[in-house]
Amino acid sequence: MSRQTIIVKRDLQADQKADAEAERKRLGHRGTLVVNLLSSPGSGKTSLLEATARQFAGRRSMAVLVGDLETDRDAQRLAPLVPVAQLTTGGACHLELPLVQRGLTALGDPAVDFLFIENVGNLVCPASHDLAEHLRVVLLSTTEGDDKPGKYPKMFRTSQSMLITKLDLLPHVPFSVEAVTADAQRIQPALKVIPCCSLAGSGIQEWCDFLEEQHQLQLAAYHEPADNC
Amino acid sequence: MHERSLVQNLLKQVRQIVEAQGGGRVSEICVQAGDLSGVEPLLFAAAFEEMVVDVFSVECRLKLDLVPVTAVCTHCQHEFEVLDFQFHCPECGSGTVDVIQGDDLQLISVTLETIDSREGVSS
Repeated sequence: MSRQTIIVKRDLQADQKADAEAERKRLGHRGTLVVNLLSSPGSGKTSLLEATARQFAGRRSMAVLVGDLETDRDAQRLAPLVPVAQLTTGGACHLELPLVQRGLTALGDPAVDFLFIENVGNLVCPASHDLAEHLRVVLLSTTEGDDKPGKYPKMFRTSQSMLITKLDLLPHVPFSVEAVTADAQRIQPALKVIPCCSLAGSGIQEWCDFLEEQHQLQLAAYHEPADNC
Repeated sequence: MHERSLVQNLLKQVRQIVEAQGGGRVSEICVQAGDLSGVEPLLFAAAFEEMVVDVFSVECRLKLDLVPVTAVCTHCQHEFEVLDFQFHCPECGSGTVDVIQGDDLQLISVTLETIDSREGVSS
């Protein structure tokens, strides 16, 4: 009997990460910025998308893939405004890339400017799954409390932007925009923080300007001039 | 996170390695889980114990090492262990740091016991 130790040193999710990178590249090349929206249930992801669709109407094209455990209620809300496909996970608490790709195919793989993925409401598991997004945005509503970033560090560490939603409720709840910003930026110093209210419309212009800026910045890398050869 | 599906994925990858090696009995699988990997070590070990018997033998042990998060500052190149998820460089205060270790789940090594071919012939 002989013993042999085979050294592997490999990320167990390497294959999934490579698939996500290839899809991100494909969509980036054709000018689609993929935005993954994450939050607790009820933080206002669908309301934000309704406000974004109204703001972009006639200027920018967008499509939405919306993930939920059951029902197509969110898709029904968004359908009058934008092309939308509901991804029903049947109990799974997060989306994975194959489900997103299936949804994209169901929509006819439209060459839109922005593809929004409304993830399943959950601040834990979705943080560990790359959905080929160029931009990861976490929403935190004022009613959830300002102590959340430190409790869910991976979610905030892996996001590039945090939207503080339901700002109109600020006078009624114990929530400090300064405290939550400091807590989140301790974990992700580069986090872009945008306070907003989708119903009243405050902050939506800044959010859409940020999206435009990211579209230009992030997709520029895919349009670098080819090699001289 | 989803420890059972992670263990399933681990066992699938180990089986592929064993097949590529031409078979053998797996006696140890060594894995490293970073503090930012989202893996809960106790749940992972429990799922491993339950699931390994379906693929390999009960004697196959899991060696699970926990890895702290390490980052490097892109301004002053200082390398530091991230404590309490505080991602500012302790040297220069910059917030532009890259995580270089501790954000994933890695398969480090697989130990295989194989019957020596000469032994096989003589027995």
